[in-house]
Amino acid sequence: MAYTPATRPGEGRGLSGTRQVNFDPVTRVAGALSVHTTIDHDRREVVEASALATLFRGYENVLEGRDPRDAIFVASRICGACGSSHAATAASALEMAFDLQTPPMAVAARNLLTATEHLYSLPHHLFLLAGPDYSEPVVRATNPELWARAEGTLARGVATHGFERISDIMSALTRVTGELYAEAIYMARVAREGYVLIGGKFPHPQTTLPGGISSTIDRSDMNVYMLRVVKFFDYSRKTAAIWDDLIDFFYEANPRYREVGARSPTMIDFGHWDDPWAYDALYENISRWGEARWCTPGALVDGRLATTDLQRLHGGIEEDISSSFYENWSGGGAGDSSFPANHPWNKETIPAPAPPSGSKYSWCTAARWDRQAMEAGAYARLWITSVANTSPHRLFCEPTGSGMRISIPQASLPATELEWHVPQSWGAFERNRARAYAFVQTAVTAYDHVLMCLDLIRKGEGRMATPYRIPKDSREGVGLGGSPRGPVSHHMTMDKGRIESYQVVTGSTFAASPRDSSGRPGPIEEALMGTPLLSAPGDESYIDVMRAIRSFDPCMSCATQ
Amino acid sequence: MSCDGCSVAFAGAGNPAMEQFQWGTLPGIPKVILHHPMFSEHSGDAFTDPYRQAAAGNLGAPYIVVLEGSVPDDQALPSGGGYFAAMGTERASEWLVRLAPGALASVAIGTCATWGGIPAAAGNITGSMSLMDYLGGGYRSSWGIPVINVPGCAPVGDNFTETLTALLSWANGIGNPPLFDELGRPAWMFDETVHRHCPKAGYYEEGVFAHEPGDNQCLVEIGCWGPVVQCNIVERGAQNHMGGCMVAGGACIGCTMPGFPDKYAPFYKAPPGSAISGGISKVYGGAIRRLRRMSMKTGNREPMWDNADEIPSAFAAAKGPRSGTDRFAAYFYKKLQYNGTVHHGKRYKKQPLPKSRDILTQKGVDHSQSVDVLREKAAPREEI
Repeated sequence: MAYTPATRPGEGRGLSGTRQVNFDPVTRVAGALSVHTTIDHDRREVVEASALATLFRGYENVLEGRDPRDAIFVASRICGACGSSHAATAASALEMAFDLQTPPMAVAARNLLTATEHLYSLPHHLFLLAGPDYSEPVVRATNPELWARAEGTLARGVATHGFERISDIMSALTRVTGELYAEAIYMARVAREGYVLIGGKFPHPQTTLPGGISSTIDRSDMNVYMLRVVKFFDYSRKTAAIWDDLIDFFYEANPRYREVGARSPTMIDFGHWDDPWAYDALYENISRWGEARWCTPGALVDGRLATTDLQRLHGGIEEDISSSFYENWSGGGAGDSSFPANHPWNKETIPAPAPPSGSKYSWCTAARWDRQAMEAGAYARLWITSVANTSPHRLFCEPTGSGMRISIPQASLPATELEWHVPQSWGAFERNRARAYAFVQTAVTAYDHVLMCLDLIRKGEGRMATPYRIPKDSREGVGLGGSPRGPVSHHMTMDKGRIESYQVVTGSTFAASPRDSSGRPGPIEEALMGTPLLSAPGDESYIDVMRAIRSFDPCMSCATQ
Repeated sequence: MSCDGCSVAFAGAGNPAMEQFQWGTLPGIPKVILHHPMFSEHSGDAFTDPYRQAAAGNLGAPYIVVLEGSVPDDQALPSGGGYFAAMGTERASEWLVRLAPGALASVAIGTCATWGGIPAAAGNITGSMSLMDYLGGGYRSSWGIPVINVPGCAPVGDNFTETLTALLSWANGIGNPPLFDELGRPAWMFDETVHRHCPKAGYYEEGVFAHEPGDNQCLVEIGCWGPVVQCNIVERGAQNHMGGCMVAGGACIGCTMPGFPDKYAPFYKAPPGSAISGGISKVYGGAIRRLRRMSMKTGNREPMWDNADEIPSAFAAAKGPRSGTDRFAAYFYKKLQYNGTVHHGKRYKKQPLPKSRDILTQKGVDHSQSVDVLREKAAPREEI
């Protein structure tokens, strides 16, 4: 398939000088994103960058004034890729507000659903969204010298993935027709077959409710589910081997690929997969049940772990609207003075559409933690859990303080152990590598939960939900969960049995955020500035800019609701 | 104005699958080139070029507009006054004005595009509406087709790809145009209520209802609207014939319907109508259920067990002869059943018991001291 570089009608096509290059829209990301850049074509690098969220739907406004029971099914529909994560997070927010305990089986089943959602989403990104940027037609067009080199380079992971040369991997990554592209579409369907047995449908599960889940789970469901999860043992380790080979190849060909999308490793995650026995939805116990999660909550600042306390993580969230299409609010939400004025519990959403200009240009708010621009994603979860080294769930994943050892049980390939190491440099390629390893971690975590559900069924602990009453007094609730693209938080205040305010912040709100009031750019913007153009002279496809953007796997539906 | 969920559903479809359209491997269907922000190769102007060509009428091929998500009232904002929904930084609603008239067909996928959905629910701050509302009731595509609607939040992927197949094969000159109902839904998918094919509808018929989430029975009392919702998810399955809301224990919230979500809210609350219909069903269904259990008592016994007056399993609760009432009921039931035809009950009575029946006892194996572990540990089962 012929690859034609992007042309830019109406703009000078010169390859020299510094000029604005707009990507309206950026494709192969979830949701509506545009990126406007200034590129110095002489020094061949990006000088300025702005990330524009170009869609606002008003979910938070639609949720205000509703019966709180509506929150789960409405909020789930914020995102068609990770509806399960939003549903589970909304349920947690309601459980905190309702003072409601959830039975272990329901927590385990919800965990299994979100893990399965990641099993769909992570390969979807690695092979359908990002993968084509490393495929034969693209590499041939942008870097003919790399293609020639790939044809002569043997792939180290051939025993795992079956591709003899790097060029074979690149051919298989070709959009639509490549073998790896087609396999990812197929495997995403396999994950969803399992998912719908408990979730009812995908996306947007039909079974999540406050205090539990309404699924009818029997051994047949778990049997069929397990057979699907097991298929991901081989597939995920194959994925990791493929990205290891690809990334090592690019680095060896040109060490400057480490600079593509590079920024300091400053990232956040709320942890993921609640311990069914530790989780009690009480705010006063939030630090305890946060620590008990399969993946540890945490904030990493310049590569150092700043905290693993979920309460501190929650307290430090702020949304700044200096560069976003919103009006300032006064006295929004709970008006809780123990939290910053920009904290989601105190915030209100007042949209004010305007043309993108220098000062306001995005529908995404500038979400910050501790006033810092944080990136987020499955890789942040892997990294933080690795270095925190406190997760109590070590059946398959063993954090080492500097990485994660993952035991993969036998499937078609023999049982093995993989290890991900905290990388020396942080950029687009390492994001994809870590995402591939997070995929392996997710596969065995899903299996862990299948085993747990089976065990609970065997013990006769199959109770799925706790009955509840909707409180009529003033309450606050927060759900702090995880999606394939990082943390998800739903902040709700309610009174007289109605939702007063409902605010949503996600990993992509952090990652795709615009500049804040102090002028600090969002993570994608920051990573683009300084990204070198490494394609062959004369190529104007800006492929490395695309690689950098897509390495974040931003989901704009999550970023802006 | 979408969540990408319909695209995700589309990618999950298998009958046919997204890639089969792109490969051109579907018999009778022309090869389809997909211009889609989530799947296309190029970004920026290189991505939007084919859209511009289509709008200018020089694409050189027929095209179908598929809208995912509702349409905000952006055209009511001042010109150059921004947008709620844009493709790039151009209003998505403007692209629809340019592209819909010249299209082979305009298809709305998912409940946002078909009926407005969540963005158009109470509290709608963006002026969101459906594609039909936006284009107006007089809209016809260049091939004379009104807006086609494939609803669902998210829709079953196969429902969309199958509609596309029906449309494309007709456009390719094969057979009649597909049949759509008065709201532009593919009639063969949305003619029936989801309850009619629901695996839990049998519970409703027998008057048994789930009281708590996780219960296996009919979900009406925990908030299921299935009896009045047009959808095919339990029959078709959500994914490759697996799942489907009620199949997994999820109550129907009417997500395929024009009234979604507000006309089905609050969720998890029994629809008011169910108090009447459910109440009636409990009375007559309860009677039917009891009669059926009576028939099942005979059906659950081999004819040989009737002759021998025992059930040869340590699992069996009642091993001995049947009660007088059971025998009496069975007698009359068989009388009716075999009336005017062969009476197998009588024929079987004449059949001798096999000589090697209960062979282990005959060989002197003594079971009297063995403990039935499974039965000791088994949780008590509720009556079905």
